[in-house]
Amino acid sequence: MTTSSNENSRPFSRNELMAVELANRLRNDDVTVMGTASAIPQVACRLAQLTHAPDLYSIAGGTCSVNPHLGPVVPSCCDYDLLRADTSLSLNDVVLLEGRADVLTVFFAGGLQIDAYGNCNLVSVGDYAHPALRGPGTVGLPFLSRVGRVLIYTQSHNPRTFVEKVDFLSGPGFLRGPADWKAADLPGGGPQLVITPLCTMGFDPDSLRMRLETVHPGVEVEQVRAATGFELIIPDSVPVTPEPTAEQLSIIRTLDTNGLLKGK
Amino acid sequence: MSKVLALSEAVERFVPNGVGLLTVGGMHLHNNPMALIREVIRQDRKIKRLLTSPCGALNADLLIAAGMIDEIATSYVGFEHIGLAPCFRRAVEGGTVKVLECDEAYITHGLYAGAGGLPFIALPKGIEFTDIPKVNRENYSFTTDPFTGNQVPVGAPLKPDVALLHAYEADTHGNAVVAGGHFVDRYMALASKTVLLQVEKVVSTEEISKHPQGTTIPGFLVHAVVEVPGGCYPTASHGAYQFDDQEIVRYMNAAKDESGAKEYVREFVKDTTEIEYLDNVAGRLSQLRYGDGSLPVALSDRKR
Repeated sequence: MTTSSNENSRPFSRNELMAVELANRLRNDDVTVMGTASAIPQVACRLAQLTHAPDLYSIAGGTCSVNPHLGPVVPSCCDYDLLRADTSLSLNDVVLLEGRADVLTVFFAGGLQIDAYGNCNLVSVGDYAHPALRGPGTVGLPFLSRVGRVLIYTQSHNPRTFVEKVDFLSGPGFLRGPADWKAADLPGGGPQLVITPLCTMGFDPDSLRMRLETVHPGVEVEQVRAATGFELIIPDSVPVTPEPTAEQLSIIRTLDTNGLLKGK
Repeated sequence: MSKVLALSEAVERFVPNGVGLLTVGGMHLHNNPMALIREVIRQDRKIKRLLTSPCGALNADLLIAAGMIDEIATSYVGFEHIGLAPCFRRAVEGGTVKVLECDEAYITHGLYAGAGGLPFIALPKGIEFTDIPKVNRENYSFTTDPFTGNQVPVGAPLKPDVALLHAYEADTHGNAVVAGGHFVDRYMALASKTVLLQVEKVVSTEEISKHPQGTTIPGFLVHAVVEVPGGCYPTASHGAYQFDDQEIVRYMNAAKDESGAKEYVREFVKDTTEIEYLDNVAGRLSQLRYGDGSLPVALSDRKR
């Protein structure tokens, strides 16, 4: 494997690459919501606003500030500094709006486990009654079923995180596949993207199973296959995730004065 | 009539031992009413069931560390970017605390139903495709929508006996200004039978009434006001100070096993009065105060 021989010489971190790639997926008419521990989506939304999506709205779940200005980026979704923002809602208002599918267009999700159909689990690993690992809890993940596009991001790409079937379903993806998904007739559009430190993945339109889209610079396809605990659909040709532009990196660093996205 | 009480007297009078449902305000490591929680532990007021906001943190984990609760209704207990909450994790994995598995929408709408005397509240489509209603039949159920004939998920009203909340400031009547994030604290106040408020400072009614729209908790819902500057430490008090991640990490390390957790509770809660505790952390607190460049309280809150 020719993995990371020149990793340190790259002018960006994996976190910065993830933020840029998430930003690239956002549209000018999006209204996004992010939850717990969301430094990367915070940066993605602000970066999109400052580049190709000036009219995008982003809501930091927790404080429920609308369009937080950042500078600095903060690690907590409830931080007082996030209220340096265009305006704010109450949490009750945001949860209320999360009940319908026609206002909020993007939710950033994650999980202790993420399965082949994009279902997420933040509750427990193993038997629910006697868990091997008790997770923190699901918070707002059931909202995945109602939002226009679910963008999943995770810092861990390994077979414990990426499993064939979640042990506890706390955030609906494409359930158990096309028949289930059709029968459920959920208001939301389902998961569209999974971004990890290794790659980006989408979903095969027929089987609704996860499909490799791009590998990050320096990452081999085999490495992704080995790190995934289910049979990942791998197309014949897998392009490399585009690198952040100099402009994107410069904006990120102006925002991320605490350097939260640096390092990894 | 002034509702301002000493911390010990407020808990003694308004938190009965064995309280059925007690809720704690704040979300993640922000605005946790830690002074009230520490006093509940000192007075050994056991709690049958604890209800957190959509994201509980030290407000839940310290009560579990001290062995105070039997059950917890929650949608999250953890330390966000810092890590998992050690005592919650151990207690649930070991089966010593029962979880009533909830999601954020239910906690929010359930408090609304509790506040308004609604018999139950319909929940938006989606929760029935998760495993949550299957493991928590006490809070979630299904009924027929009389308008469409469809089966729809519903939630039971949440009606806490006691709410422990933090606010930035209040007058002696309990009219309170919440700085920064409001989270679901206001609905906890609306839904609960008894509300205890800890504040950074008690101010005059004249001062409070300059900004009536910024006063989000009205005094008629409040039973006791306790003035404890620094009382959210080691969590953040919006408008006053940031959370102390170093102390949270120290707690997480100490509480890695049950005896360590008990020892932490003994040293920093049971064997220490609140005044001594806050004196001991005064140096840290002064470093954590929001700086001059931070949001002034007036800007962030008083317009609401």
